[in-house]
Amino acid sequence: MALDPGTLEQYRLKLRYKVRWHLGSSCPDVDDVVQESLTRFLRAVQEEKIRKPESAGAFLSGICNNVIQEYRRGVSREAVSNSDTKTPERAAAPETDGLELREAIAVALSRLPQRDQDILRAFFVEGKSKEEICLSMGLSDGQFRVALFRAKGRFRENYYREVKQK
Amino acid sequence: MQFHRDPLFREELIRDYLLKRLDAETAESFESHYLVCEECFEQLRVGEMLASGLGRSKLEVRRVEDVVVLRFAEPAQLTRQSFELEELTRVFRQKDTKVLIDLRRVTKIDSAGLGQLMSFYSHVVKNQGALKLINANTEVQAVLHATKVDSLLETYNDEHQALKSFDHP
Repeated sequence: MALDPGTLEQYRLKLRYKVRWHLGSSCPDVDDVVQESLTRFLRAVQEEKIRKPESAGAFLSGICNNVIQEYRRGVSREAVSNSDTKTPERAAAPETDGLELREAIAVALSRLPQRDQDILRAFFVEGKSKEEICLSMGLSDGQFRVALFRAKGRFRENYYREVKQK
Repeated sequence: MQFHRDPLFREELIRDYLLKRLDAETAESFESHYLVCEECFEQLRVGEMLASGLGRSKLEVRRVEDVVVLRFAEPAQLTRQSFELEELTRVFRQKDTKVLIDLRRVTKIDSAGLGQLMSFYSHVVKNQGALKLINANTEVQAVLHATKVDSLLETYNDEHQALKSFDHP
């Protein structure tokens, strides 16, 4: 199995999502955990431990789970000794958290019709089921699907347009 | 698991992943998949942007000339694992070197919150900038004083005065 630099960068970006999901955005060591996971993965590739390319995702995810576990164990050990007084390093900045990107997200959302915002909020933020949303907004199953995907698609277009302008 | 069999199924999966509602096995299965699937990862990214943009943020961010002013709109605690501390950390960008944090609505701060403030402080100082605080309540002020953080971070009670101090350090 061969890996080009572009694929590696994609893995890095995606691993940051995974690690942040597990350790939280304010964890100062997200990038270290990602780097260690990638290093172990590359070593496994070099040693030809990944025979089926289609299992690369599960393999990488498994490696990352181990690194996360080890990191957690290390943090608890430190906490037991005296780390409460230790000053944390800067937290890793998640991709969507810079002020400019937050502004781009806000602008992209503000350009959506209110109905689109309502359906997206109900689904992604309030976590309502399709049935609940259909009932409260008077939509059929088919109308809900169309409305949700169009709203998300419009947001995506608005967002990338805004980012491009910046 | 067939992640592409139905677009709505995938959206629900992404939503539940972001809301941390998936069981460990399904979350692991989705993570293994999106690590190698561009399409699902892109949908996840957009879903996260939507969730963060539409979710009610407690932190107001505004810019007064070259100073970024951060203020909590609701009562907030800068304590270990608090949502507010996480949000403050997220918003505090590497590029920003003149930052004023309004602590008016901060009701409690602990060593994690102080540590994070000191981390912001060393970052801005390293970049020839400044971090200042305003409107700390009596309790927060007492913690800042007891830990001598106030000897490093200038604190003000008036925003105008605080903003002016960035030009005349």
